Amino acid sequence: MSKSLIKTTNLNFSFGSETKTLQDVNLDVPKGSIYGFLGPNGAGKTTTLRLLLGLLRNQEGTIEIFGKDFGHNRIETLKRLGSLIEQPSLYGHLTAKENLDIYRRIYQCGKNRIDEVLKIVGLENTKSKKAKQFSLGMKQRLSIAIALLHQPELLILDEPTNGLDPNGIIEVRELLKKLNKENNTTVIVSSHILNEVERMATHVGIIHKGKMLFQGVLSELQQMKTKQAALEIETSDNGKAIQLLQQEYTTEQLENKILIPYQNREQAAKVNRMLIQNGVDIYSSHPQQSDLEQLFLDITSNN
Amino acid sequence: MSILISIRTELIKAKRSSAFWLCLIGSGFIPAIFFIMYVARANKIIPTLNAHPWEQHFLQGWQSFASFLLPMFVILVCSMIPQIEFKNNTWKQVFASPQSLANIFFSKLTTILLMILFLFVMFNFFMVGCAVLANIIHKRYTFLHATPDWVLLLKMNLRTFISLLGIISFQYWLSLRLKNFIVPIAIGLALLISAMILLSWEQVDKMPFAFPFLTFTSMTNVDKPGALFLNHELNSIGYFVFFTVLAFLDMKYRKERG
Repeated sequence: MSKSLIKTTNLNFSFGSETKTLQDVNLDVPKGSIYGFLGPNGAGKTTTLRLLLGLLRNQEGTIEIFGKDFGHNRIETLKRLGSLIEQPSLYGHLTAKENLDIYRRIYQCGKNRIDEVLKIVGLENTKSKKAKQFSLGMKQRLSIAIALLHQPELLILDEPTNGLDPNGIIEVRELLKKLNKENNTTVIVSSHILNEVERMATHVGIIHKGKMLFQGVLSELQQMKTKQAALEIETSDNGKAIQLLQQEYTTEQLENKILIPYQNREQAAKVNRMLIQNGVDIYSSHPQQSDLEQLFLDITSNN
Repeated sequence: MSILISIRTELIKAKRSSAFWLCLIGSGFIPAIFFIMYVARANKIIPTLNAHPWEQHFLQGWQSFASFLLPMFVILVCSMIPQIEFKNNTWKQVFASPQSLANIFFSKLTTILLMILFLFVMFNFFMVGCAVLANIIHKRYTFLHATPDWVLLLKMNLRTFISLLGIISFQYWLSLRLKNFIVPIAIGLALLISAMILLSWEQVDKMPFAFPFLTFTSMTNVDKPGALFLNHELNSIGYFVFFTVLAFLDMKYRKERG
């Protein structure tokens, strides 16, 4: 688990001469992980993934995949990975099987793989229907099937659940978890849907304005989340409540709410008891920032 | 990975594509007009064909085909094959697949050459077919009693094909470079029309878009010495090599692919 499958060192990239799209990106994707690559739109996720696939010419920094320099081992590396970048890449005038047949020949795998991957993504009954007649969700699933054809060790997926309905999103998530668990496939999946990444990733990287803001295991991020959490209290007399709370905690007033650092449930009960005993009524009291989203927004807004 | 695999995949992509239909339908266009003409105006045409029916038939067919329609079809095919990737947003998947850049580049070029070869084969087939059919309808035609000059026909096909090579590589380069389907076609057509206007210019044998016409006129000129290839045909091979190398290097050193 500790060995890096993808490692970039000081990756820099700019499309024009002025702004840098990527600045010293040091990506470290451990073998056997599901690496959630998070960032808002325009953060540099797709640019990073395109560099990993050789779709953009590397300008500065190094890219190592499977422990070897990508630039010098492009074909060998691409043979061992599957990818899906942005929108589905399919030949609209061909059927699902014909689309898969093209890549089956390139990856030199058996004909039986076509039916196998179609079954995996639930498209086994599309028969002579052309890809252009598929819904966006079906196209996305067929693109995933192409990425899975040669049973790659590494999957590079850029927003693979785009355009999928809630059921489709769950199916893709479960599929990736299954591939990771059963075949030990390493997955790097970019997304701006934080909730989704939190549900499947073992490792997380957060990128914003071309800079990596966080990289580590999911639990590390969740710890940060707890550290940054606050107890949000709404009372009948906020002035008096702040006076009381200031004796023990750093307080902050936000509109008609009071925020104090949140530690645990016992602390919340203690605070409530103290306020009530001093004649302050509590209208609401709950830990703020219950999901990764708030943390993500905090991290990105601070930068 | 063998380039043959890449070519095979390119041929799967070309299946049922607009380039395929253009070659099939385009190759039948002139023969269809000839057929209608032969059936509708048999009395006028039969006396003009009787001496060497097949030779006359092929020369007239190629005259209509080679001077304008054929280069136009070539311009379209050269745009349509790379356009399959642009239109379907598939370049990125192609470049992210384990194929060398040379395999990607040359398999597409080979597909274009094969499509044009297919256009040639089908044009000849339809030309023979329309004459035979006209003869079945009007018994006074003599196509069925004469033997076509296959050597002449083969020579005409080969030399016309060579005369097109310069246009093919130039148009292929443009079509790889420009995402917009219309621009390479517009440039190609503008150059083709310019070449038609400048046909009497002494430097015309350096203008690739005039080469198919020059080849056709040389085939009809019996006084010319029988050199295997004429200057403009050798120039066409030169242009082909130049633009092919240029297009490959352009693709190889491009900052962004797909």
